[in-house]
Amino acid sequence: MEDVLTENPPPSRFFQEDLNNFVQPPESLPSPFIIFSNPKPELPLRPSLLIIAISSPSLYIFHSLPSKTLLGSLIMPEVPFSGNTMEPSLEDKSCNIYSLSSADHKNLTLLVSVQLPVSPERSNLVSRLLIAKDIIPERVIILDSIQSRNFRGRLSPDETLAAKLETSAEKKATTHTGLVNLDYFPSGSVIDGLSASLLSRCQLKNRRGTLVISWPEFGPSVIRFVGALLKKIVPSLDVASVNKDLEKNSSRTGLKKDTWLDSDLYT
Amino acid sequence: MEFVVEEGKLVNEDCSTLVLPALSIGNVGQLAVDLLVSSTGAERVGYLDDPNLLPCVGNDAYGPLPCGEIALPLEVYESSSIATTLAQQRSPVAKGMMIKFAENIANFAASSGKKHIIVLSSLDFQRLHNLDMSRGPQVYYLSNAESDGRDDHCERLGFGRLHEYDSEGRCWKYLSSVFEKNSVEELALPSEDELEDIDYYPSLPFAALFSAFKARGLKMTCLLCYCSEGDNIPEAFLLAEASSKLMGLTPDKFHGEGGKWQIPYSWKSMYGAPPDMSMF
Repeated sequence: MEDVLTENPPPSRFFQEDLNNFVQPPESLPSPFIIFSNPKPELPLRPSLLIIAISSPSLYIFHSLPSKTLLGSLIMPEVPFSGNTMEPSLEDKSCNIYSLSSADHKNLTLLVSVQLPVSPERSNLVSRLLIAKDIIPERVIILDSIQSRNFRGRLSPDETLAAKLETSAEKKATTHTGLVNLDYFPSGSVIDGLSASLLSRCQLKNRRGTLVISWPEFGPSVIRFVGALLKKIVPSLDVASVNKDLEKNSSRTGLKKDTWLDSDLYT
Repeated sequence: MEFVVEEGKLVNEDCSTLVLPALSIGNVGQLAVDLLVSSTGAERVGYLDDPNLLPCVGNDAYGPLPCGEIALPLEVYESSSIATTLAQQRSPVAKGMMIKFAENIANFAASSGKKHIIVLSSLDFQRLHNLDMSRGPQVYYLSNAESDGRDDHCERLGFGRLHEYDSEGRCWKYLSSVFEKNSVEELALPSEDELEDIDYYPSLPFAALFSAFKARGLKMTCLLCYCSEGDNIPEAFLLAEASSKLMGLTPDKFHGEGGKWQIPYSWKSMYGAPPDMSMF
């Protein structure tokens, strides 16, 4: 049982320092930036579709997809590279940007795998880079997990589900991405962090955007579920290889088994 | 801070009063604004995009059924029938950035032609020294009408002046110096060890907003009530009713059904899901 004195308060409750005008602001950090592989593409990139993976199931799927080309990487100066490998790996702290090969070269689809921690305070800068600066997509899909701390309903660990939030431009669009059958995220619950910042940026820029939040956070069932959703969005996506050996992997598929050892001391 | 008008919407420049919450214990100011938006039938006209706000999104908070209209961290609503703009804040300000945020929103209000700002906030009940329950729950106020925070109109309405306001107090003076561009006096903030109980009030977000709007020459009224953490819906009603009285309004003048307060749809799940009855 958690200690009621030291456990985190529910999100609607504030710590005293959250309500204190005189707390010193944090030290300012260098801004994040994107580096591109050679030859450097003409910027800004204007994909017809940008899919951003934040949840563990979606990261696992993106990693397993064949026929993707590494285009670049978003660098956050405060995140150390120690432990990262030369070839992209699920264990890396990285934010890689891939393009999907397409028969129709005019319709560029980009995938972004967000495998590094982005604090809420830094989310604004990252979302501007990915949606409104070096990359200006026509349509955005963000894949994240339901955050149980912010969810006002009941979540069963045995039940796989997904919901969506979308921008006004997406609601008005006459063609849809295959997500029309998803229920809307219930009112009264909120999503915070990078996925919220990305969707907000889409709304502010009057861009088509959908945030798909799935549950549970890990496991073969939700990976298959998210894979099927992605197949509806991009029919040409080869998700067959994703479903191989799912049961053999850790139940926290997409994460290292011993995440408590995930420290710079153990690289 | 950028004001982004929602696609297809027009801003009514006759809405000269701005009501907004200050982050505070029990989220009372935010709950009160929820009640005002829901009951006045105010329409969302845009968003305020500020880099100091932490991100959040959700489904439409007001209903009657959640229709998938996305809700953002800081939204601007207008009710033309009562010539009032309401700003609702759904997420916290990044730590240490409250003063910057207050400055930004004061700039927005001034550049949008707002004349009267009403800030709704709560105060920690543990800080209340003189408890007088004989008159029932008390609404307190702080105004820039007079230098001691007094305002005749608020006095006539029966609100209690916040006696803890001292414009010459070191933290209040510090806030004034920060926001007044022409201030020649460079003041240093007292260190954390030097802060006393009386410094609690100027440390709160409502004080930053009060000082920022005051520095822009806008008429400013803070409405406050004491509360503890818990079910703060009664306090939300208290402040919503007080702000309506201040604006000379009653719920029958609102747009809503039956001329009464409308509970926002999102409040249905405010305290989470009901207990799992299968355990019985």
